[in-house]
Amino acid sequence: MKIFPENVSDYGHQIDSLFWIITSVAGLASLIVLFLVFYPVLTRNKQRSKDEIYVKGRGFKQLKWIYLAIFIMAVADFSFLIIESDGWIKIEESLPQEEFHVAVVGKQWLWEVIYPGLDGKLYTADDIKKFNTLIVPKDAVVHIDLSAYDVLHSLFIPHARFKNDCLPGRKITRWVKFTQAGTYPMVCAEMCGIGHSRMIGKVVVLPQAKFQNELAKMYKK
Amino acid sequence: MSMAHVKKGFWHRFFFSLDHKDIGLQYLITTMFIAFFAGIFAMVFRIHLAYPDVSIPLFGTIGPKEYNILVTNHGLIMVLWLSMGVLLASAGNFLIPVMLGTDDMAFPKLNKLSYWFFLSSVLVLIASFFMPQKGFGGGWTLYPPLSVGDFGYNTAYKSFAGRFFSSNTFVLLAVALEFVSLLMGGINFMVTLFNKRAKGMGLLQVPMVVWMIVIASVLFMFSVGPLVAGTFMLLLDINAGTGFYDASRGGDPLLWEHLFWFFGHPEVYVILLPGLGILAEVITTNARKTLFGYNLILVLVLIAMVLSLMVWAHHQFVAGIDPRAATVFSILTIIISLPFAGVILSFLATLWKSNLRLTLPMKWALAAIVLFTILGGFTGLHLGAALFDVYAHDTSFVVAHFHYTLIPVVLFSGMAGFYHWFNKFSGRELNRFLGNLHFWLTFIFFNGFGIPLFLLGLAGQPRRYAGYDHIPYLSEGHLPLLREIATISAIILVLSQFIFVFNFIWSAFKGKKISSTNPWESTTLEWQTDSPPPHGNFEVYPVVYHGPYEYNRPDTEKDYLPQNQKL
Amino acid sequence: MNTLSISKIAWNRIPQARLAMWTLIAGEFVIFGGLIVTYLLNRMKYPGWGEMAMHTNVIAGTINTFVLLTSSFFVVKAHEAALKKNIGKIKFWIWLTILCALIFLGIKAYEYTHEIHAGFTLSSPALLAQGKHVETLYWSLYYTMTGLHGLHVVAGALALFFVMRNISKTGTHFHRIEVAGLYWHMVDIIWIFLFPLIYLIH
Repeated sequence: MKIFPENVSDYGHQIDSLFWIITSVAGLASLIVLFLVFYPVLTRNKQRSKDEIYVKGRGFKQLKWIYLAIFIMAVADFSFLIIESDGWIKIEESLPQEEFHVAVVGKQWLWEVIYPGLDGKLYTADDIKKFNTLIVPKDAVVHIDLSAYDVLHSLFIPHARFKNDCLPGRKITRWVKFTQAGTYPMVCAEMCGIGHSRMIGKVVVLPQAKFQNELAKMYKK
Repeated sequence: MSMAHVKKGFWHRFFFSLDHKDIGLQYLITTMFIAFFAGIFAMVFRIHLAYPDVSIPLFGTIGPKEYNILVTNHGLIMVLWLSMGVLLASAGNFLIPVMLGTDDMAFPKLNKLSYWFFLSSVLVLIASFFMPQKGFGGGWTLYPPLSVGDFGYNTAYKSFAGRFFSSNTFVLLAVALEFVSLLMGGINFMVTLFNKRAKGMGLLQVPMVVWMIVIASVLFMFSVGPLVAGTFMLLLDINAGTGFYDASRGGDPLLWEHLFWFFGHPEVYVILLPGLGILAEVITTNARKTLFGYNLILVLVLIAMVLSLMVWAHHQFVAGIDPRAATVFSILTIIISLPFAGVILSFLATLWKSNLRLTLPMKWALAAIVLFTILGGFTGLHLGAALFDVYAHDTSFVVAHFHYTLIPVVLFSGMAGFYHWFNKFSGRELNRFLGNLHFWLTFIFFNGFGIPLFLLGLAGQPRRYAGYDHIPYLSEGHLPLLREIATISAIILVLSQFIFVFNFIWSAFKGKKISSTNPWESTTLEWQTDSPPPHGNFEVYPVVYHGPYEYNRPDTEKDYLPQNQKL
Repeated sequence: MNTLSISKIAWNRIPQARLAMWTLIAGEFVIFGGLIVTYLLNRMKYPGWGEMAMHTNVIAGTINTFVLLTSSFFVVKAHEAALKKNIGKIKFWIWLTILCALIFLGIKAYEYTHEIHAGFTLSSPALLAQGKHVETLYWSLYYTMTGLHGLHVVAGALALFFVMRNISKTGTHFHRIEVAGLYWHMVDIIWIFLFPLIYLIH
């Protein structure tokens, strides 16, 4: 059964595998918890003696199983943190050399996409504004400058495992590299009013040649 | 307090009684009343999600505006009014004085005043639905700039009167009033614990639920301050033209997020701790076994309490905070799972090799532990890992996670407590068949709602959407079916609670009178007095000789030794 | 331990009302703490923040600090009188404290009047029109913090008044002077934090 939408970004698989790692460990722990709850229930008619039962849980000897369990959990927890650190740094703290730069500004209730125009630079006079369609090249590092005009929004591209909030008055740059051509939805992931569920755009990922064609067509208009 | 006498002098008691048991009941009824609406709201918006064009009786056809208001107020009411109203205010009032072996709270008049603030907060909240906006619809988290504006409706928001008499302002005032109520209550609980214990009851012989309620109240008091300041500033932004959260005016929307979640995260532990406390009482009584690691649990909870003040920004991993700071919060969030794991393990150790009695309260308690730990606690690890949260934030996965932490703690644990103590405070028995029916329906259909929601979140379904049918990637495969299953389960879940309400009201007046004042053969002090306890709680105030969970002591004949009974 | 409070059915030693008041004070510190943190964050973010502080009346602020400190001294004297159950002295010192509160509020009112005339208000529309965003934010915080503090001064003065009146009428509850005095000291301490932040930081 397919759990996640198909992953089409180069760092997406790190997010997916982190999920499976945590789920496996948690699954194992869950089986133990279920056992520790059901076994006493199922054997409740076997009456224990007072000496067996009257255990206060004081002192190392009695508490050692709990300490051990907490220790094992701590090891698991820290493993998760170590495993995620690479992906987190890659996605959030590093900004690889840009190969295409675009801006997306959230607005009640659409996405304004700002293309750099013929000079290839954003925030110059020849920038082109389009709505709800983000055209990007395949296999290239795309820098997306995120912002908002009015209230908080959040750009979410599920297939790329991409998400970041869009704040008014602030420009946040994140990057993504698509590994597969196609058209993918982009939606809003921060409550922004009555049109929140209608801010549906699309990301069009094209191989380099086709991408340059599309851009040229767009700039000519 | 006997329900049979309620008809006589009801209004007199409502207004003038300072008895903590009466006040506890007032909190319970008021909370159940407002929670009823929150539950109906959930039913209505879920029906809308599954059947968008259906006109719902009393609500009409739901559009995005109504949807947002329903979702927002469902969250606000459940988190801020139901959870704390039942687990802190009501449970604290009922249990603390009796379990401590004393007559009443330290400050009975302050106690009553705190109820009046609570009631006014509910009235102001209800008033918010009659403002031009018809209710606040910007999410229970109240994020500006959305919460400062009028959501683009162009209602009469231009004048001061238009902004003051708005749902935005009224919701914030309601929250502020409720915070005052809880602050007063917290002071009362804390002083009562320290000053009004029975003779011989040292702090380490206090029943765990009392400790948990007091620690929760103290945590509330220390974490709510910044939000009070923040709410004050938000009210000024709405009404006085200031720009604390307005980026175009030098302000910062992120400031609200920090102030809100600095409280918002400890808040969930404020809710969790009393729930765990109730579990401690129900489990020890029904396992006929002393609480394993009483001291350890206290230490772990105090550690968790300190940590809880340091994890708040895990709600803001992708909100634009510095990613390096996010790493710190991710680490602390993962760490905070450890003390709570320790507490759950202590409960499990209490069950291990016990003489378990599978009574109805015990069923609720065991279900609470299983659901909270496996589907609530462990999914907290997923979300605490910042990298995965990039994908899961603001999807239905988060919604499922917090329903699996909140519902087991508030509903399942609350019901464990209710079915456990009902006979003590009313002198009557609840109908057992209806109780079991209530339990099984709740258990089955809660999971019928929650599990699909996890899967929907993993499929990339964002939360707080008024509809999904217009979105192709969310309308393919089994996703619409999952939404429908969740909706039908949610409907049955909410309706099942009416079985409980009926049972409660019917049994309170016509239930079979309980034949014993200690039918569960429990050790704590509330079971050593009449059912219901008289005004002042005890004919003769008890003296305590040992801990609260002396079950199956090798040197006693019976399998339990009440706290006030000498060996 | 020199304490006047009585616990009824309690075999413990922490006086009840005092414990409650300490808890309330802790809660209040967190509230003002939130505002102070907000102030500091903004100060660190905007280099021009301190310039607005030059428009505050440092002399007035200094006098007010002195007034509040003196009033705290008066409250201590009132507590001393309460320990001796001397109702006459209690009234004397409490009235002096309330007088200080009124002087404080009066000076604050004077400051506010001048600041409002200069165009510095809660939302400063004149400054806003000039695009001076940092400045308007400063004044918004100024009024919020000092306003909230002022409300606490009023509350504290009222509390002291009613406690004094109750003692002089009933001749009991002397411990309440200490408890209300604690609240008053808190109000004083909060001002000690606000004063340098708001008036002196440039």
